[in-house]
Amino acid sequence: MRALYCAGRGAADMHEASIALSLIDVASEVLREHGAARASALTVRVGQWSSVVPEALTAAFPACAAGTGLEGARLSVVTVPGVGECPVHGRVTLDVTRGLRCPECGAPTPTLLAGDELELDELELVEPDLEDV
Amino acid sequence: MTVANPRIVTVRQNILKANDHTAAENRATFTAAGVRAINLASSPGAGKTALLERTLRDLAGQMSMAVAVGDLATENDAARLRQHGAQAEQIVTGTICHLDAAMVQAVLPRFDLAGLEVLFLENVGNLVCPSSYDLGEAARAVLISTTEGEDKPLKYPTMFNTADVVVITKMDLADAVGFDRDLCRENIDRARPGVPVIELSSRSGAGLDAWFAFVRGEPT
Ligand SMILES: [Zn+2]
Repeated sequence: MRALYCAGRGAADMHEASIALSLIDVASEVLREHGAARASALTVRVGQWSSVVPEALTAAFPACAAGTGLEGARLSVVTVPGVGECPVHGRVTLDVTRGLRCPECGAPTPTLLAGDELELDELELVEPDLEDV
Repeated sequence: MTVANPRIVTVRQNILKANDHTAAENRATFTAAGVRAINLASSPGAGKTALLERTLRDLAGQMSMAVAVGDLATENDAARLRQHGAQAEQIVTGTICHLDAAMVQAVLPRFDLAGLEVLFLENVGNLVCPSSYDLGEAARAVLISTTEGEDKPLKYPTMFNTADVVVITKMDLADAVGFDRDLCRENIDRARPGVPVIELSSRSGAGLDAWFAFVRGEPT
């Protein structure tokens, strides 16, 4: 099992540190597939129902990325609101504090059509520059 | 010297795909062995271990059960559970605030799965992190005690939204702490419309029959 401390972050950030490490694993794999040594920026999509706090993820990321191809990369987090389907109002944007209920009429919207994602969306690769090597 | 050219690639990959992959392996292992794995999550002190102790005691001789219990450091919970005659293995998570599929996979060789009907996966006490990690369980039970307030389902929507059953524990204390049962059930239903809710007391035994039915995999 690997250490999850990411250079001394406190317990409150452990969840996002775990997520940051998984994110770095996925991103590092993409770097390898593309033959790139490092990335300068990355975008992740975090659903409001994903249990990940964007600010905590952004705070945990730099220390977790140290020594990897993601070191120094700019992390952008796009928050994805919950979307449900109301039998009357169709696709509706949900309010996380009110649960899975149509904001118009209060009908239950049991299925999340969006808002539970936790995904690496884009990666900005820095191509190896032969003249720099 | 030339400036390196950035190239943007679209990835669109689940950050937890490695965990999901391992969870699928665990699920296949459980299915092949005929084991019903139940992931239990709650806040610290909501009564997961007390409910498991009662379950192991009351169903002893009827079902073969074992527990894998995640804890930050100590081995107290596993020792408590072993007193009831069932195998209990501790997964020491160290600084990690949840069980993940790989930790569960690593502990599975210690169990005789072929001889088991139910394996409880007692998660670390925490309503945030465990929600993100599929362990390969057949069912996920989320516990909330009458002493921790009625708003937990709305504060931790992901945990409740992934529950197959919500268990309200410590019902024997409900009156003493002014527990608002209707409000709690309303909030649970907002977080997870239609989810079955079981109210019980591990101390008095009230409501345990519904829980035992869930443990057996009968409809709740
Ligand atoms: Zn509506």
